[in-house]
Amino acid sequence: MHGRLKVRTTEEQRLLKEKENQKKLVAYKQGMAFILSTRKKDSYDPEAFAVSSQILHANPHIYTLWNYRKESILLEIENYKDKEEELVKFLEKELDFTEQCILSSPKCYSSWYHRYWVLKNHPVPNWEKEFKLCAKYLSVDDRNLHCWDYRRLILNKTGLCLEKELEFSTERLNANFSNYSSWHYRSTLRTLDVESLEKELNLVQSAVFTDPYDTSAWFYFRWILNHKEILEEKLQEVLESLKQLEELEPDCKCILMAKCWIMDTLYVKDEDQKDDINEFYQKLKQLDPLRKTRYEDAIKQKNS
Amino acid sequence: MGSILKDVELKENIPTTILFAKHIEFLIDYGQQKDTYETVMTDYLKMSGMYWCLTALELIKASPFPKNDVVEFIKSCQDPECGGISASTNHDPHLLYTLSAVQILCLYDSLDAIDVEAVTKYVASLQQPDGSFAGDKWGEIDTRFSFCAIATLSLIKKLDVINVDKAVEFVKSCMNFDGGFGSRPQSESHAGLIYCCIAFLSITGRLDIVNRDNLAWWLCERQLPSGGLNGRPEKLPDVCYSWWVLSSLAILGRLHWIDKNALKKYILACQDLESGGFADRPGDMPDPYHTLFGLAALSLLGQESIEKVNAAFCMPQSVIDRLQIQPQMLK
Repeated sequence: MHGRLKVRTTEEQRLLKEKENQKKLVAYKQGMAFILSTRKKDSYDPEAFAVSSQILHANPHIYTLWNYRKESILLEIENYKDKEEELVKFLEKELDFTEQCILSSPKCYSSWYHRYWVLKNHPVPNWEKEFKLCAKYLSVDDRNLHCWDYRRLILNKTGLCLEKELEFSTERLNANFSNYSSWHYRSTLRTLDVESLEKELNLVQSAVFTDPYDTSAWFYFRWILNHKEILEEKLQEVLESLKQLEELEPDCKCILMAKCWIMDTLYVKDEDQKDDINEFYQKLKQLDPLRKTRYEDAIKQKNS
Repeated sequence: MGSILKDVELKENIPTTILFAKHIEFLIDYGQQKDTYETVMTDYLKMSGMYWCLTALELIKASPFPKNDVVEFIKSCQDPECGGISASTNHDPHLLYTLSAVQILCLYDSLDAIDVEAVTKYVASLQQPDGSFAGDKWGEIDTRFSFCAIATLSLIKKLDVINVDKAVEFVKSCMNFDGGFGSRPQSESHAGLIYCCIAFLSITGRLDIVNRDNLAWWLCERQLPSGGLNGRPEKLPDVCYSWWVLSSLAILGRLHWIDKNALKKYILACQDLESGGFADRPGDMPDPYHTLFGLAALSLLGQESIEKVNAAFCMPQSVIDRLQIQPQMLK
């Protein structure tokens, strides 16, 4: 039970709810019994199929009922072997149904997978339409892992146009720099070379300058800074700009941390800089006491 | 400037000790309410529900359920054709519930109650050519299922029936830019899936492929000012992530990178003073899932009144010792 607030109820409310639930319980049990009694290898009962819609609508997590529907769909595919038009009609109805279930529970594994499974068994799947569906759900919750993962399954089917996807990820980031899912997605899109590194560095720098307290972009920043193709003078440049940002936001731990990453790379053997880095870690211990021991480990490692 | 930090504020009157008696009551109650709408509607995960309750009770050294009833129920859930185990009678077999069932049977030292050979065949049949595992015959792929497969086979001592190298290769292909893991290649890192992959690598002895300090940094950044841990950046804290994040850090030998006292305070604040049990956040409805992961996290934090838990299996260490299984743990 995630995020379900405990609400106080009166005795009257409780009894009413109990009565209601008792009715639902009886209906559920009858429905399940009916479906199971008609579940056969070589045929299915459309009436039971309709009952499974009702139950799944109320609770899309009941994976066994989705399995039952897959069995029924396979039988229909066999039935409509020479009547593609009718089969398509049937499958489109099933897709509509999954969308209703996704709408009421956008984080249910079973409904998302069932939709994908139906499309895989569809004679003329309209994969493009699925991108619109994903856009719709990402606009409601741009961190929904199920939707991102589903979108990736669709991309695996359609093939990926790098330019289009980069544009998509830039759009999502422009809408919200604090979207870790979009940063992650961007990281999967390309192998970096000197030219693209520069572009990515500019993008992520503008994100952390916009809001240095938001941690999302810093993870991407670190990934870029760690890249083996990155040039030393580029790192020097970034270090300078971080110092300027620090003047504006002296208590932001991420800025200090990024300075440590860069200096650790630049001055591996430079004893003069070692004191500076030690000092940064000491300050980090104060700014971010929850992770004190991590900074202590870094100091130890530095001095060993 | 400055984004709004997603976190909760702990109130003054929060519990600061473990309410053992209340939790026992809560877990027993949960196990006994047989025919309410709520319990019947969660039949689709009953086997895991039993694993959460029974393991939680073991960790706090109370074990009031008659072993025979539990074992008989599990037996009735094994599919005679494919060998897999379902969430409940009248449900279909699935790897998720096969693992839960095997975990419970190990707890009770009763593996011989089911057809272990059939379980072995079932798990092996779900491995795909790329090394990944489907959750059941309908083909959904997820690193959660890689973990379920490896953990199940390890507990029944049959790891040799699958291609472990291939399985590792698939998990490795799910590693991300931040050092974390997602459900499939290129899926975003998430603490729950990181646990699945790290525990998988711990059981297979392949932690060498992990970018340890990069990942441990990402994991320790999950701790919020309230002391609680979230599962991804910019998300709310939740007791279950106390387990997913903490067990991963423990396996990586970096448990000390978070503030243990602050986390303990947060977990204790999520206890329900009236009914017992833990919720995801203070003031929410408690459930057995968060109760197990709250208690297991407290065990990893060194709480002496709770049994020692194994970080890779989320089972009492004494059971893992009895089975002579030694998952890899970094120092």
